[in-house]
Amino acid sequence: MQVKSVLLTGAALLAATSGALASGFQINLAAQKNIGMGHTGTGLYLDAASQFFNPGALVFAPGGFLIGGGAAFPRIAFRNEFGTAEQRTLQNKAVYPFSAYASFGPKDGKFKLGLAAYTPFGSELHYAQGWEGRYALTDITLQSVFVQGTASVAITPQLSVGAGLVMLAYGNVDLQRDVPIQGQGAANPLHAQLSGTADRKFGYNLGVMFKPSDKLSVGISYRSAIDATVSGGDVTLTNVPTSAAANFTATKFTATLPLPSTASIGIGVRPTDKLTLALDANLVSWSVYQSLDLTYSGGVLGGRPSSTSKRQYTDALAFRAGAQYKVTDKFTVRGGAFYDQACVPDGFITPETPDADRYGLTTGFSYAIGQRFGVDGSFLFENFMQRSQSQADLVTNGTTDRVAGTYKTNVLVPGIGVYVNF
Amino acid sequence: MMTSLFSRRPALALLGLGLSLGLSAGLAGCQADIAAPTASAGPLDFTSYVAVGNSLTAGYSDGGLYNESIATSYPALLAQQFAATGKGPASFVQPSFSAARKDGSGYLKLLAAGGQLGPVAPGPANQFLGELVAYTGGVLAGSGQPQLEPYAGAQPDNLGVPGISVLSSVSALTLNMAPYGIINPFYERLLTAAEKPTKDYVTYIGQKNPTFFTCWMGSNDVLGFATAGGVVAAGNPFGGLTDTTRFGIGYRAIVQTISKNGTVKGAVANIPNVTSLPYFTTVPVATVIAGIKASTPTASLYIRTGTNTVREATSADLLTLTARSIIGTPSTTAGNPFPVGVGLGTAAGQSNPLPSEFVLDAAEITAVVNRTNDLNGIIAKTALRFKVPVADMNVFFTGIAQRSIATNAVSNTTAYVTGNLFGLDGVHPTPRGYAIVANEWVRVINAYYGANIGTVDANLYRGILFP
Repeated sequence: MQVKSVLLTGAALLAATSGALASGFQINLAAQKNIGMGHTGTGLYLDAASQFFNPGALVFAPGGFLIGGGAAFPRIAFRNEFGTAEQRTLQNKAVYPFSAYASFGPKDGKFKLGLAAYTPFGSELHYAQGWEGRYALTDITLQSVFVQGTASVAITPQLSVGAGLVMLAYGNVDLQRDVPIQGQGAANPLHAQLSGTADRKFGYNLGVMFKPSDKLSVGISYRSAIDATVSGGDVTLTNVPTSAAANFTATKFTATLPLPSTASIGIGVRPTDKLTLALDANLVSWSVYQSLDLTYSGGVLGGRPSSTSKRQYTDALAFRAGAQYKVTDKFTVRGGAFYDQACVPDGFITPETPDADRYGLTTGFSYAIGQRFGVDGSFLFENFMQRSQSQADLVTNGTTDRVAGTYKTNVLVPGIGVYVNF
Repeated sequence: MMTSLFSRRPALALLGLGLSLGLSAGLAGCQADIAAPTASAGPLDFTSYVAVGNSLTAGYSDGGLYNESIATSYPALLAQQFAATGKGPASFVQPSFSAARKDGSGYLKLLAAGGQLGPVAPGPANQFLGELVAYTGGVLAGSGQPQLEPYAGAQPDNLGVPGISVLSSVSALTLNMAPYGIINPFYERLLTAAEKPTKDYVTYIGQKNPTFFTCWMGSNDVLGFATAGGVVAAGNPFGGLTDTTRFGIGYRAIVQTISKNGTVKGAVANIPNVTSLPYFTTVPVATVIAGIKASTPTASLYIRTGTNTVREATSADLLTLTARSIIGTPSTTAGNPFPVGVGLGTAAGQSNPLPSEFVLDAAEITAVVNRTNDLNGIIAKTALRFKVPVADMNVFFTGIAQRSIATNAVSNTTAYVTGNLFGLDGVHPTPRGYAIVANEWVRVINAYYGANIGTVDANLYRGILFP
């Protein structure tokens, strides 16, 4: 039975080959004081971090410099739909978001200028070796650093506006997955790694703050979407069987990951000199992310020049509440909570973003060491609802390039920062 | 510096301490957990699970039976899943070959020979591809087939015998004229010298006392006819389509025997539609004709049908996997310079038709499909009578052929070699395919008996390995 040639189109093998950049990959850890208060800030004017939350509020905030960072510890558990395999977890690694803000302006407080750097999107997950979903994703690293220049003007003592020019200064993606084709005598299947850096792109943010009295402030802000495009990223393939090599010749890839816009409204209330209360609502327009499309160059991957994987995210709302209380002149404590809607619809959950509705609890403190200098600390706990999708859901949605099962995620983020007020 | 800072500011020091303690405790206890589902046997007892069947049950793959394929037979996978319910079997015995002859009958390998990738059969000419085959050098008295090393252990729990049909399971159906123990080397190796000429399969399986059984019989009552292109070799009593009368008698005898007249719980599976096997779909007529016309526009593919007429092939005919290496080979008919290749021609009279054994023509397809449906009707009725569920493998595989089946982000299709599900013989599943078969059994057993037996991660079992 000698068949003269076997066509290794491999299309089916690889229909999903590269379906995996990340999402739900927003990192809401923009500044230590705000984290402590449930990541509110649109209606507040605490410090130079207003550049992120509401550039309109910057002019009312004290000028200064602050820098902070945290370590996010995601803890994901996965069970296959049929639950016969053991529970899978991540190879635990931390992600380190950071931020820095500076602002300055004239004594009369008519305007302020600011500079900022922060990490609004990112993800890093390394699944356990040999887990069931390895043909969807084994590893993902997604990093972004935004820098922003901001101007904020007080039109009246009650009303201010502000705008920021935002640049995606650095973006980096590294996606890895196994490909279901294996060589004779090979211990592992083919492995594909797609890695590259994003092009520099510009966006903006805008904000308005209305402050009828010292006891009340209301803000709205908008942050534009930015398309993060990786062009000419590297394709690295290992364990390619010789006979299949002609179908795995790609050397470069191009992909675009839309980073969504955010519209926010917030309110700040100060019933006493010591107490500040804040409420925020955010609408994140995740619906811009409909599919992940990869185009290969230098050859093909799995016999194909491109691939597409459905995302079909939906816009998501988040509600946040926070409070801070000035215990002494030097010591301030904070607390907050938030509820964040999932942007990934049922049947579309991917291992790179095991998204789910989640709530979070936060706490934090500030300690003033001198007139101008102080330390901020924060701690965030985020609890994702357990979420399942069945193989039948995947078949219905045409999303069989991912795994059926149940995900449960917790995230812990301790953070620390320092500030200087000018 | 930090020490002095903390010592002068106890509030901050305490807070810092609390934070770091809370942090380390929190991180340790933070791992998300999902409650493990509990496997349950429901009302079933798997203490002695016995599998009755043919090559599909034996774990035959890539044109052979060998220890690696036996290890991933669907009964072995089922036994493993049954054991996870806590209702046993403690061990599931399979008729493996001895370690020094672990490759049994030998099996096809996908090799790149002369720049072409294709399956290569083991044989004396290529030193059996280095495989440790279990041939003794003897031949079987009833068929002349090469004898395999005898299986020395106790009667196995996996009773799958490659090649066996319902017709060949019950001696009386062939008037005791075709003792299967001296015809089929896979059955012969399981029997003692005294049993070989006398003991038929239905008697053999009656020796077991199962607490649960599966039975997947009947494919060879249509498959052999189909893969031979509808040609029945002279002297082969088992080469045709088994008639419904004898199939009914034989099938009922088998299920009655293994179920101890309906007192033992189990499940049966029916006959898949053999025409959707890669053995028949890999060489499409349209592709062959297009290839011929590309070089000779006036020529086409001509076949000899089962009724001995010569005509142009149409897309209603199926060519066997083996036809690929025959079509276009030079004619051996003296004085017939044109057309030069087997199957090529410009008119029915002006051709060297592809022999009938490489074609399942439209009429033969109809016969095979109709007979399969008739026999499946008998299987359904018999299952009802003995109160066991039917795993409808016919519908299951037809669905996969039409829509493919995804397993944990891997797309599996019925395509030859690239599809992952079927081995190099184009008929038998790969270990991946057997895992998917096992999962279908589990689904049916769970649904019928209210059990909660887990399925296997099919991706742990290989598809085709590439050189």
